[in-house]
Amino acid sequence: MNGTPVRVKLWDPFLRGFHWLLAASVIIGWTLGQFGPSKMTLHFWLGYLSGALILFRVVWGLVGPPEARFIHFLSGPRAIIRYARGMFRREPSYWHGHNPMGAWSVIALLVLIALQVASGLVSDPDDYINIGPLASEVSAATRKLALRWHHIGSTLILIMVVLHVGIVLFYRYWKHEDLIRPMITGWKEVIRRD
Amino acid sequence: MRLLVAAALTLVPAMAVGQETAVDQALEARQGFMTMLGTNMGTLAGMAKGEISYDETQAVRAATNIQALTGYDPTMHFIEGTSTDDLQDRTEALPDIWLDLEGFGEKYAGLQQAAQGIPDAVRGGQENVGPVVEKLGGACKECHDDFRKK
Ligand code: HEC
Ligand code: HEM
Repeated sequence: MNGTPVRVKLWDPFLRGFHWLLAASVIIGWTLGQFGPSKMTLHFWLGYLSGALILFRVVWGLVGPPEARFIHFLSGPRAIIRYARGMFRREPSYWHGHNPMGAWSVIALLVLIALQVASGLVSDPDDYINIGPLASEVSAATRKLALRWHHIGSTLILIMVVLHVGIVLFYRYWKHEDLIRPMITGWKEVIRRD
Repeated sequence: MRLLVAAALTLVPAMAVGQETAVDQALEARQGFMTMLGTNMGTLAGMAKGEISYDETQAVRAATNIQALTGYDPTMHFIEGTSTDDLQDRTEALPDIWLDLEGFGEKYAGLQQAAQGIPDAVRGGQENVGPVVEKLGGACKECHDDFRKK
């Protein structure tokens, strides 16, 4: 690691707002889906909110500030391998933005949540009280497939979120690098490489 | 001897068909039963949402049908060897039903209870249908969540 870390404004306010709203909406929506009341009105609304947030993130990934742009943080296998080699070193990464590995897990989470919203919109569980608002627009086979995916997706999202939080804690306690505070305040210690 | 072989040859397929029929009948009966519940629920849910205009006679008929249907015990059609493990895509009845017949029966009792008195409850106006649909739908969901393959 060369260079001295400098404190920079890394995450813009919209991205931070997006992140914590999405986290809240996914956690509450997921919990209601598993344990909530049988009339799932609030679960539906949190799904719409999550969908809107994902749409925002896609737009932000194209036209937002550099650190938020997909093109800025998505990299190929070589960069990923290079980063992964140093992954377990017990020192902060001082990475400027999403690191090459984290970036793809960000995409995976966004895609999973998008699929979850999409499948929820057209699911029909045959209980006549929780029908996806667009279920009548698709075939019965699609409704069934959507319901199946919605269930598999909920498990995958649980795994990804646990992994996501686990890795953030790994940075905090193994690599002595606090990523959470930057996601709240926007400020992070980084070493610029470009 | 030849007669015996001929008899055996005709009997074997006949037996196979006979076996298949018991399973077929169980599937047809219970899935048809669910479809009937669904059709009548569709009428009530449509009225509750305002997609179908409220009509007391129709609402009472649907509710009476559901209450009558729940007087029937469909668990007899969940015969051994007819779970998703045995029949794959032909059924959505999870093996858990047979591991917990008591729990399955309780979920059905929940629906029976929810259906008590609904013909009277849906009388008097569109606003009375919603609560009935919610109560019934909750009972459908309770059982589908645990015992029906997604
Ligand atoms: C005691 C459990 C239980 C309750 C209560 C219940 N269901 Fe079902 N339902 C099932 C099971 C199990 C299946 C799958 C049957 C199969 O595929 O063999 C099913 C399947 C269905 C199907 C699909 C039928 C088909 O064509 O394959 C519909 C529609 C349905 N249920 C509607 C309802 C409605 C509406 C209610 C409430 C009014 C309800 N169910 C209540 C257990 C239940
Ligand atoms: C359901 C819950 C959550 C979801 C869906 C989620 C999703 C995401 C997404 C999509 C990103 C990428 C941000 C972007 O560029 O847009 C991200 C980053 C991040 N998340 Fe979460 N998150 C969740 C919960 C949490 C929690 C509980 C924490 C705190 C422990 C956390 C900490 C972080 C941090 C620190 C980053 C930035 C990582 C980096 O520096 O590259 N997240 N999260």
